[in-house]
Amino acid sequence: MDSAVLDRAAAGGAQAANAQIVIDRLSHTYRPAHGRPVLAIDDVSLTVGRREFLALLGPSGCGKSTLLYQLGGFLPTETGTITVDGKKVQGPGPDRGIVFQHFALFPWKTVRANVMYGLQRMSLPKAEQERRAQEFIDLVGLSGFEDSYPSQLSGGMKQRCAIARTLAIDPEILLMDEPFGALDAQTRHLMQTELLAIWNRSPKTVIFVTHDVQEAVYLAQRVAVMSARPGRIKAIIDLDFDRRDPHLTKSKAFVDKVDEIWELVRGEAIKAQAGKA
Amino acid sequence: MARINQGGAPMASPEHDSGQLPHFVRSFGWGVVAWLPVIILLVAWEVVARSGTVTPFMLPTLTRVFERMGSELVSGELPIAVGLTLWRALAGFVIAAVLGIALGLAMARNRFFYWFFDPIISVGFPIPKIAFLPILVLWLGFFDLSKITMIAFNTIFPVVTATIVGVYSVEKEIIWSARNLGTSERGMLWEILLPAAMPQIFTGLQVALPIALIVGVLTEMAMGGYGVGGSMQTASRMADSLGVFAGIFEIAVVGYVMVKLMAMLRRHLLRWHQESQEPTTV
Ligand SMILES: Nc1ncnc2c1ncn2[C@@H]1O[C@H](COP(=O)(O)OP(=O)(O)O)[C@@H](O)[C@H]1O
Ligand SMILES: [Mg+2]
Repeated sequence: MDSAVLDRAAAGGAQAANAQIVIDRLSHTYRPAHGRPVLAIDDVSLTVGRREFLALLGPSGCGKSTLLYQLGGFLPTETGTITVDGKKVQGPGPDRGIVFQHFALFPWKTVRANVMYGLQRMSLPKAEQERRAQEFIDLVGLSGFEDSYPSQLSGGMKQRCAIARTLAIDPEILLMDEPFGALDAQTRHLMQTELLAIWNRSPKTVIFVTHDVQEAVYLAQRVAVMSARPGRIKAIIDLDFDRRDPHLTKSKAFVDKVDEIWELVRGEAIKAQAGKA
Repeated sequence: MARINQGGAPMASPEHDSGQLPHFVRSFGWGVVAWLPVIILLVAWEVVARSGTVTPFMLPTLTRVFERMGSELVSGELPIAVGLTLWRALAGFVIAAVLGIALGLAMARNRFFYWFFDPIISVGFPIPKIAFLPILVLWLGFFDLSKITMIAFNTIFPVVTATIVGVYSVEKEIIWSARNLGTSERGMLWEILLPAAMPQIFTGLQVALPIALIVGVLTEMAMGGYGVGGSMQTASRMADSLGVFAGIFEIAVVGYVMVKLMAMLRRHLLRWHQESQEPTTV
C-alpha cells in the first residue's frame, strides 16, 4: 500500500498520460450585487485521469461547490482554464452530469418525470426511456414513489431522486456535490456500494465532493484536500485499497489513512471557523 | 446488485383523521362556525330593518331584498345583468392574464423589454386607471370594448409584476440542472421558467380576478347600460333602494364564487406545490 502527499506542482503527474480533466490555475471570485467580492477558490490546479474516482474534501465554505460549478460549466471561468478531453469548458454539456448539493429537482414534476426529463432530450425510443427511468428509480430505492412530487419526499429521497436523474443520462463524467449528505447511515452505505458498482462496470470519471473523510477514503482512488477559503488544493493523497474486502473499513491501514487525512482537514476546519469569527 | 428497498405507501395520500362523526357532518359543523359572523351580521340587519329605527327606504329588510332578487331571477333580469358583468370581467381578466404573463416573461428574460417597460409599470401601477375612462370612451365608445379594455388595463399590473418576481426567484440550480439535462434556450422558458414561476404567477392572477369584477362594476356604473353596475345605477336614480341592495348581494355572491373557484383551480393545478394546498379562508 503506498500513498504520497504530493505537492501542487506534481499533482496528477502520474495520471498525465491518461488525463481527462485538466484544471489549470483556476480562481473564482463571486461579485455579489451588494457587498464585497468573495474570492472562493484561488489558484487551483488539478488533473483528473480518465475513469478516475477522485474525492474532493474540505471544510464547508472552502469552495468545493464553486469548483464543481466551474467544472459543470455553470460559472464563467475568469482566471485560469479547465479542459475536458483537451477542449476548453465553455458551458454545461451532457458529458458532465452533475448532482447538486441541494438536489435541484423540478418540483412540478413527479419522480418519474424528473428522471425521464434528461432521457427525453436524448434520441432514445420512448420504451427505452421508460425502461431506463424505471431502472434507476429502482436502483435508488424509490420504487412505489414514481408518481410522488418532490415536496412529498423526505430530504434523503429527494437526494436519491436527483442521483437517479443524473445517472439515467449516463454521463461520462459524474460531478457529485455531497450526494449522500442527506441520507441516513444505512442508506448512505448502500448508495456508496451502488456507486462503486456503477463505476466499476461502466467507464466513468467521478469527482465526488464530501466533507466526510471516511467516505472519501472508502470511495476514492485519490483524495484532494482543500484548504479553508479561499480554497486551494492543500494535499493530494493516493489510495490503493481493495474495496471488495468486507472488513476494509475496520482494517488498521484504512483507519490510519482516515486519521492521517482527518488531521489535514481538521486544521483547515479550525481555520475556517476562525475565519468566520 | 444491491438495491435499496423501502416499503410503505407513498406519502402522497393525505391522512384522513379519524373521529366519531362522519367527515361531512364535521365539515358542515365547521362551515357553520366559520360563517357565523356573516350570519350574525345578516340577522342584525334584519332586526334593525324591522325595528323601525330606519325607514325601509334607507334599509329594506333582507326578506324583501331576497324577494326582489327572486323576482328578478324569474323575469330574467338578474341572469342577464350578472351574465353581462361576468362576461366583461372575465374577458378583461383573460386578456390581462395572457398579455400580462407574456409581458412579464419577456421583461424577465430580455433586458430591452425590462428597460422599456419597468418604469412604465412602476408609474402605471399606482395610478387610478379609472381616470382614463373618459378618454377611453372617446376612443372606443360606450359599449363592451371600452369596458373590457378598462378591466384589462387595471388587472394587467399585478399579473406582470407577479410573473417577473416569479421568474426571478427560480433557483439558479434548477436552471443549471435543466441546462445540464439538455434543455434548449427556447425550452428553458416553457419547460422550466414558466412552470417553476407558476405559484407566484397564479397569486398575481388571484389578486387580479377580484379587481376585474370591481372595475367591471365601476365601468358599468359610470357608463350605464346593462350589467349589475348599470342596473344599480338605474335603480339609484329611480330611488329604488331595493334594487341597489339586490345588486350589492349579486356582486358579493359572484365575487365570492369566483374567488373560491380560482382557489380550487390553484389547488388542482399546483398539486405539487405544498403551500398551495393549504386551505385558505372560507
Ligand atoms: N453567489 C455567491 N455570492 C457570494 N459569495 C458566495 C456565493 N456562493 C458562494 N459564496 C461564497 O464562496 C465560498 C465558497 O462557497 P462554496 O463553493 O459553496 O463552498 P462549499 O461548497 O465548499 O461549502 C463561501 O465562503 C461562500 O460564502
Ligand atoms: Mg457546497
